[in-house]
Amino acid sequence: MRVTVDGVAVEVEPDTTILTAIRAAGANVPTLCFDARQDPFGACRVCLVGVAGVRGPLPACTTPCRDGMEIDTADETSRRVATAIVELVLSELPVAPAPHTELAQVARSLGVGTPRWPGATHATDHDERHPYLAFQHELCISCGRCVRACDEVQGAFALTATGRGFGANIAAGLDGGFRDSTCVSCGACADSCPTDAITEITLLRI
Amino acid sequence: MSKNLVELVRRTHEHSAPTALEVLKDAVEARGELTDEDRRAAAAASGLPEAAVYGVSTFYDDLLAPRGRRHLRVCTGTSCFATTANAHVDELREALGLELGERRDDGSVSLAETVCLGFCHSSPAIRDGDLIDAGDAVVERVLAGGTRGASEPEWSSVLAEPVLIRPGTWAGFEHALARHTAESLLEEVKAARVRGRGGAGFPAGDKWAFARASPSEQKFIVANGDEGDPGSYIDKYLMEQNPALVLEGMALAGYAVGADHGFVLTRSEYPLSKPALEQAAASAREDGLLGDDIRGSGFSFDVTVLEGAGSYVVGEETALLACIEGLRGTVSARPPFPAVRGLYGLPTVVNNTETLANIPFIAREGAAAYAALSPGASSGSKLVCFNERFAAPGVYEVRFGTPLRELCEELAGGMRDGRELKALQIGGPLGGILPASQLDVAFDFDQLAELGCMVGHGGIVGFDDRTDMRDLARHLLRFGAHESCGKCFPCRIGLRRAHDMFEERRAVDRASLEQLLEALEVGSLCAHGSGMPAPIRSLLAHFADELGLA
Repeated sequence: MRVTVDGVAVEVEPDTTILTAIRAAGANVPTLCFDARQDPFGACRVCLVGVAGVRGPLPACTTPCRDGMEIDTADETSRRVATAIVELVLSELPVAPAPHTELAQVARSLGVGTPRWPGATHATDHDERHPYLAFQHELCISCGRCVRACDEVQGAFALTATGRGFGANIAAGLDGGFRDSTCVSCGACADSCPTDAITEITLLRI
Repeated sequence: MSKNLVELVRRTHEHSAPTALEVLKDAVEARGELTDEDRRAAAAASGLPEAAVYGVSTFYDDLLAPRGRRHLRVCTGTSCFATTANAHVDELREALGLELGERRDDGSVSLAETVCLGFCHSSPAIRDGDLIDAGDAVVERVLAGGTRGASEPEWSSVLAEPVLIRPGTWAGFEHALARHTAESLLEEVKAARVRGRGGAGFPAGDKWAFARASPSEQKFIVANGDEGDPGSYIDKYLMEQNPALVLEGMALAGYAVGADHGFVLTRSEYPLSKPALEQAAASAREDGLLGDDIRGSGFSFDVTVLEGAGSYVVGEETALLACIEGLRGTVSARPPFPAVRGLYGLPTVVNNTETLANIPFIAREGAAAYAALSPGASSGSKLVCFNERFAAPGVYEVRFGTPLRELCEELAGGMRDGRELKALQIGGPLGGILPASQLDVAFDFDQLAELGCMVGHGGIVGFDDRTDMRDLARHLLRFGAHESCGKCFPCRIGLRRAHDMFEERRAVDRASLEQLLEALEVGSLCAHGSGMPAPIRSLLAHFADELGLA
């Protein structure tokens, strides 16, 4: 089937998502919870785009293309809401994310500076009990990429989402850290993490 | 959660393993709190990875609050708020010297909150162990150790021949087995244009048709008994007073769709629902109406009843399925829809219990008779319920299209104690707030939508002239933030920030609030985040001067 992305026509297979079509057309929208090695998750809502004839923005990562779809990555409402969401995400961290992280890059690309929301942030909680992998729980934005890397890519099932609402976070095993879990030290979680909430210890020390 | 985890659960389910959630619920019931030993036992019994079990154990309210030998749960639902403005919660906290979620050091007493116990006809309500007391002086009784069981609400129908308030007899199912093929029953339900009663109003026949079209050999019917709208006790009535009608609807859905098993998920806040449904299922089995080769038709169907563990969002269909699988009750992006990939990854029809309770009538009397129940309006009849602030609260079966004023003033008798009605919230926490000046509207899907309101699940909560609308905004947003499943970013963070704006007596910056509401409405993954702004928008439209805006 054929869709257009910002006016550029692109041929896509059935069941292709809007996000894949956007990238196939050489365009882009920012994402935080998306990792091409994993099933789409639809949590961050930063990849919102406009589609002609559809009321309101759609998440690009989980919406399948329809033939003839006209996709607008610059849709004003989509960008405004995505920007507001990234500002909310920054507001839950007690410190700004490191400049090299995906979160910091996305924030820069949308022009989000210091968030205006005062109030609660995640409690600082570092766990360096494992020789290679470290948690900085306060940087977790619950994108689920580490959990999916562990479940879908590695099949180790060592990680889980925890809590709910604003208290959501991640844990390994029964929250006893990576070492007391089924972690095989593959590093797939750290590799996918967009905020450095999970890092390889060697990198942390450099 | 990942597909791999669901596949893991599917394989263990085939071996009749208990779910991790069931094992954890039993452990907390027996010992008052969870230990790692309990979590390991749940992992071993269910086949789930330990990490996944840990995630489950941190998600559900029932697993989190430590329990003393006497465990008190105070209802913080919207009806209880409408009655006391939360004074009952404060009195209980102060008298016990406990905050919500705390247990005395000696383990004698614990206090937790619960939303909602479904005794909205008699608010406020407190649960003492499994005994629920409600009404005047409930706090005094509970503190004096004299907790007594509250009376159940009255129920009645305005129809000469009630459809939903009539005890289920299985006559529709027997009629369908004798006279309908699966296809003709499906066509009848489609023709009846029965819209989902759980909130979204999606045509049930279309959902069934999607599932029927799937080539999968195994399919499931799921009755959603966990809508959980604070202020509604319609599902509670159906599951506890009329469980056979719900089960009959499920069997009919199974017949039409080609499913041989159904699940009901009840709410743990209604401790009598699961036993009532199980008893009704047992007698249906005895009568040969559930089981293998029913009435020699070649159609087999049976039902499993499960109970949730304290989560409002589990009323969303993908989260509901995760809860039945014993996993964290978080929402999944659709597509795929449950009709294509649902429970254990297999095609599943998820219908609200009231939706299913409509099906026996359609099977027996046909689509035309069903449409005629509410002339000139949406098809069928609807259960509504009213909160304690009304003079005659209870469950009523009404016709669509009835003027809202007639429902509130004639049926429910207007406000009690000579109070004046200030506003209504219809259809649950995601429904808009209607000021008392706008009651001249037909009770129906489209008409209410035009006023920013909805039929929703049919709970009608009246607020009288004493209600502080800023407190109401804070009450609703506190509920919203507490119940957010935490998956999508706008809901997870946005509802917390919106609540915080109203938390202290600070002026609320209207522009920031509206930006937040837009992010929630446009960005959220499910109706919880996208719907919570609706009542706040109504408050901004009708009661802006009471909100302390900047």
